[in-house]
Amino acid sequence: MSTITEARAVTTPVVSHVPWWRGKIVQVAAIVAVMWLAYRGWKTEYPWPNDLVWNGLQARFDSIQTYLIDQRLEGGGGLLFSIFDAFRVFADNLVTWFNDLLTWLTWIGTTVTGTLLAWRFGGLRAGGWALGAFATFAISGLWAESMETLALMLAAVGLSVLIGVPLGIAAGRSRRFDRAITPFLDAAQIVPAFAYLMPVVLFFSIGYAAAVVATMIYAIPPCIRITALGIRRVPVNTVEAAASMGATNRQMLTKVQLPMSRRMLLLGLNQTIMFALSMVVIAGLIGGGGLGAVVNSGLFSNPALAILAGTVIVVMAMAFDRITEAIADRTDPTKRHLDAAAKRRLRIESFVVAVVIAGTIVVAKAIGVSGNFPDSAGIRQRTVTAQEWLLAQIQKVLDYVADPTTWVFQVTEAIGNFILTKLLLPLQAFLVEAPWFTTLGGLVVIAFVVSGLRPAITTFFMLALIGFMGVWALAMDTLSQVLVATLIAVVLGFGLGVWASESRTVSGIMRPISDVLQTLPQLVYIIPFIYLMPVSIVPGIVAAVLYAFPVVVRLVERGLKDVAPETVEAAGAFGATRAQIVRKVKIPLAGDAIMLGVNQGIIMVLAVVVIGGLVGSGGLGYEVAQGLVRGQFGQGVIASIAILALGIALDRVTQGARQARKEDIA
Amino acid sequence: MSDRQRGRGIGLVTLAAAVAALVAVAVASAGGSRQAACGDVSLNENSWVGSTANVYVVKNVLEKKLKCKVTVTNITEGQPAFQAMADGKIDVVLEDWDNSLVQSNKKYVTTKSIVPVGNNGIAGIIGWYIPRYLLKQYPQFKTWKGLKGKESVFKTAESSPNAGTFLGGDPSYVQKDRALIKELGLNLKHVVSGAEPAQVARWTTLYKQHKPVIFYWYDPQYLNAIYDLYRVQLPKRFKGCIDDEKAKGNHACEYAGYPTLDKFVSSEFAKSGSPALKVVRKFKWTSADQNFVSNLISGKHMDKDKAAAAWVAKNKAKVNSWLK
Repeated sequence: MSTITEARAVTTPVVSHVPWWRGKIVQVAAIVAVMWLAYRGWKTEYPWPNDLVWNGLQARFDSIQTYLIDQRLEGGGGLLFSIFDAFRVFADNLVTWFNDLLTWLTWIGTTVTGTLLAWRFGGLRAGGWALGAFATFAISGLWAESMETLALMLAAVGLSVLIGVPLGIAAGRSRRFDRAITPFLDAAQIVPAFAYLMPVVLFFSIGYAAAVVATMIYAIPPCIRITALGIRRVPVNTVEAAASMGATNRQMLTKVQLPMSRRMLLLGLNQTIMFALSMVVIAGLIGGGGLGAVVNSGLFSNPALAILAGTVIVVMAMAFDRITEAIADRTDPTKRHLDAAAKRRLRIESFVVAVVIAGTIVVAKAIGVSGNFPDSAGIRQRTVTAQEWLLAQIQKVLDYVADPTTWVFQVTEAIGNFILTKLLLPLQAFLVEAPWFTTLGGLVVIAFVVSGLRPAITTFFMLALIGFMGVWALAMDTLSQVLVATLIAVVLGFGLGVWASESRTVSGIMRPISDVLQTLPQLVYIIPFIYLMPVSIVPGIVAAVLYAFPVVVRLVERGLKDVAPETVEAAGAFGATRAQIVRKVKIPLAGDAIMLGVNQGIIMVLAVVVIGGLVGSGGLGYEVAQGLVRGQFGQGVIASIAILALGIALDRVTQGARQARKEDIA
Repeated sequence: MSDRQRGRGIGLVTLAAAVAALVAVAVASAGGSRQAACGDVSLNENSWVGSTANVYVVKNVLEKKLKCKVTVTNITEGQPAFQAMADGKIDVVLEDWDNSLVQSNKKYVTTKSIVPVGNNGIAGIIGWYIPRYLLKQYPQFKTWKGLKGKESVFKTAESSPNAGTFLGGDPSYVQKDRALIKELGLNLKHVVSGAEPAQVARWTTLYKQHKPVIFYWYDPQYLNAIYDLYRVQLPKRFKGCIDDEKAKGNHACEYAGYPTLDKFVSSEFAKSGSPALKVVRKFKWTSADQNFVSNLISGKHMDKDKAAAAWVAKNKAKVNSWLK
């Protein structure tokens, strides 16, 4: 998920003699000490004053909702609604059409088509992944649901690319346009999807169209970002050479910039698919159907089924990921040189693939293979048996987890209680109960010390906005959780990242784990933790940590691996041990990537705040979740804006810290 | 680079042509496949198991007796589901816990976008529940007055030493526990325990350990047949309290009962004259019936359709009364 940010990380291989953090850590500690004294002195005496709250705000947002519902129900609505309606019909039809197509191809036809296309463009392994994915759909007994999700993904990803690539090209060619859209992209990724479900439902009703729109809002930003990055990465001298030869603007784009950034464009497609797949469950809430709906209903009536469906989503995501990556690698012009014989072979391959696909479908149709997988009684019986067996195995694990007499529970409960009583509750009390002005002032001054004037000003305005909207206490509660989750994610991610950079095995093991953690719907894997740690806030923290730490691992690992080999060799020549090289050379040199890991970790943690609300973390996340389902639009919007404000402040402060660090070094 | 592209061209064209041909055939054959005697009916399943039981039993009857083509949707209750009905995306909601009375949703009823078709026969109860084993040691917990001064029995790592923890309900459910705790002057810390599966995980773990726990809960619920729970008596409802509640003021009385849980159909379906409409109108059963099916689905992990069929087979008389 972090291709965008990895690319942004530019390591500066210079180290200053004075440890950069020494001065700052002392200063921050001093500020915290002052805040703590204020907290001890005036505990709970100065909550955010009522005079500084805009009380009518929620009602105002609510009236917008009422207005929209009225417009929607009483016909009218005018041009705006008719545009939305047109798109709705179009998107509904598109998904239905994809679904009908996949059904019409018959299950054999779909499998053969998918596998052979993946093989033709991505190679043998890619073909294997495709075949494995289709086999999983079949064995899990969720073939029809998988096809519905696949159709939804094809439509959502297709439309995202259609919109995202042109915008990305524009952003890559114009700095000004890039700056103009960046805040919207940030907002689309930080604002919890729950918050925009209600407006989406009002404008696009319930069904495929709404699901497609909600998915697109989340999946377009990475598409734009990576496309822009690909265009910008085309070497300046190539562009200049083309310009000096008199290339027109259009020629420059179609003959130079696009072909040269082809690999990045395909990686953009890869990320768009990954982001879209992470929305499957949320889309299921508003009529996306498919696997998402199975997860949602299963969570309440049959958790084992929800976990099975969640696993199928993961397999689909991994297959898409590996296949698009393989295609990107194979079509990379820098890696591939075809001679006449190879071209000829490829032509024959394409021909054979086309013939086999067409033949399979004709035969399958002729002998009456159905669109849904278990089409004969014998196979159906076996599928049911397979599904029941899988469900029984999952249920066994769940039953074990839900049993408070096992030793596992003794361990996890103790860890949960430790995190709660030693980290969360003290920090939460400190942030929520301290006088508002010392907390506000203290946080702003810390932002100033850590990263400079501009981030400090941003922090001030964001915190003031939160107070002004009347959600100060809730936001401080959420902030305490975000800080604790980020701390754990960074410590864990840093350790594993260093290890992975030194050991191929660990690196190899980490990849599938991080794929699973980032694409498996959080609600699915968090339910077991609720049984294991029966205290309210902690499972939410666990969800956030599990979601965020793989990114930290990846950034740290990459940062350490990118350290110039000459430096490492030089240190080795001076007799440094392996541990010394890691500690004294690699880690300081990779500092920038590590700071980026902290930054990304925080953003990822914020993305899970709402899920935390659903498993008992309270704070802003709960407000958003409740706002949607109980029809309290205003409450949901305000809490979402507050989450966004926290996100912007934390992002700017950590980004600013990277900048400040670079300046210190220079 | 262009050489290479040309070289691959022929193969790609063949491939594209094959795909295009398939697509054309698919489009041609996609229409005209949906046909059933009673037509299409979509039933909305909500996030609690009771709703699943309603939906699958009605589905069974419609499919087996009337040969309808039934689809099950999973749209969130309340506004999202109502909007879906207004847009003709779903036809039937079989159990609504007074969402139609929420201010912002009233418009759906007044504009006849959703049409009430009576109740499903089940009485809904919301309240504060404790495990019955607690009453042995603390018989006074039968009413809220007995909780006073004894709140620390319910203390957890999250509450301060002399306070207890109260587990709140799913964010989507009707609740007023924070206000109740405040108005009754109880030293309980209201903890949001999240969506229903999360809340169930919390209190069942404590139940299995035989520890004290007090939480928001409701009936009908199949878990009530597995766990022996007791509903704490809150102050009775009286006119002043109800008026106050309407004015969003004092909440110091028990939850309103839900003598009826309502069924709604979309205006389109109401006008359709489909034979399925009659069954939906007449569909009525009891908490015990619903819990029986819910328990098969959630407790015994039976397939939803099979669980519904099992109940239908046992209750022919009741099913026939819906068909008359």
